[in-house]
Amino acid sequence: MTREEAQILLMDYMYGELDEQQSRELELFLETDNELKQEFEALTQTRSMLQHLPVKSPAEQLIIMEPDKEASTSESWWHRVSSLLIPQSGFGRTGFAITAFVFLFFVMGAFTDMNISAGDGGFKMTFGEQPPVQTGYTAAQVEMIINQVQQENAEMINEYVLAAQEQQEAQFEQTLSTFAQYLDNRRESDLELFNYSLTSLEETTYDRFRQTDQVLGEIIQTVSTN
Amino acid sequence: MEDAQLVQDFLGGNHHAFNVLIKRWQDKIHHFAYRYFASADDAAEITQKTFIKAYQKLNTLEDPSKFSSWLYRIANNLCLDELKRAGRKRATSLEALKTAPQTEVSSSADEKLVRNEALVLLHKALLQLPVDQRMVVIMKEYEGMTFREIAGILDESENTVKSRMYYGLRTLKKTFDSWNINQEVFNYD
Repeated sequence: MTREEAQILLMDYMYGELDEQQSRELELFLETDNELKQEFEALTQTRSMLQHLPVKSPAEQLIIMEPDKEASTSESWWHRVSSLLIPQSGFGRTGFAITAFVFLFFVMGAFTDMNISAGDGGFKMTFGEQPPVQTGYTAAQVEMIINQVQQENAEMINEYVLAAQEQQEAQFEQTLSTFAQYLDNRRESDLELFNYSLTSLEETTYDRFRQTDQVLGEIIQTVSTN
Repeated sequence: MEDAQLVQDFLGGNHHAFNVLIKRWQDKIHHFAYRYFASADDAAEITQKTFIKAYQKLNTLEDPSKFSSWLYRIANNLCLDELKRAGRKRATSLEALKTAPQTEVSSSADEKLVRNEALVLLHKALLQLPVDQRMVVIMKEYEGMTFREIAGILDESENTVKSRMYYGLRTLKKTFDSWNINQEVFNYD
């Protein structure tokens, strides 16, 4: 027997759960291993100290009262019926719940005049009496409405074109008068400039004639003096 | 009458059979819970819950001959639930720990007083064990179960249970040594 094996058997030996042969083998081993023997004695002493641990007994005796038989009978009757109706597995219960909900939904729908319809606008569910449904116009009515709309459109476009034309004419006249006024002003300013230039030329020419006469006079005087 | 027969009777509709089982096992479950929490109130609550749960679930017990192991398993789980619910704070506010540990015993102290203090410290040392070791020590030392039965209740291997017992006793010995508690103290009667 090794020391590890002896350690494993120590607890069994301490609590008397080893057979005679194993006990004798362990006792022989403990005689050869003083350290393990001392540990065994110390743990045995610890055990004996634990036996002194005080304990308190319960203050009162518990008792389970027998359930009311009548209530129990009615309850068990209901239990039996419900267990027959309702599936016991989780999946079955879920399916049963969904089916019950759908059934209840349609029963309630029957009492409340429920109407379910699906169209281009989506899914629609209504309760109570249906509102009157618009059936639409006849072909003659539609043609009349189209003619009326076309006539109104034509009148409206005509009015719009006339108004735009008047506005354009007014703007054109205003532009012409502005341009004519501009031309008049330009002509007047050109004439004033022309007059001024002529006057200046005239004055320059007179001055030059006068200077020429003066120079000629001086030349004649010089010649005559000589 | 055997537990198994009482279980069968109860399942057959004999309500009184369960009260016989309660009378037979109430003290043991109460002592088990008391040693676990060192509180009479907690022990009473755990005991009550254990039997209520057993009453509700007895029809799920596959082997009626294993009623006692099954009952201890319920009690054990309820103790663990209570520990989780109350948290670690609980372990330091128990009625058994009203006296602080003393490292020296006065030679002039009254011998009975010394003994009472030693008993309080004894319970404190037990409560200081890790939960898994404490459970095994209580079941083995006080409930007298075999290692196989404990392994079945805790759903562990026998070697694991023995290992927890071994280390639990070693830890207790170290604690007793450090608090100067020895066998002589308990001989003051």
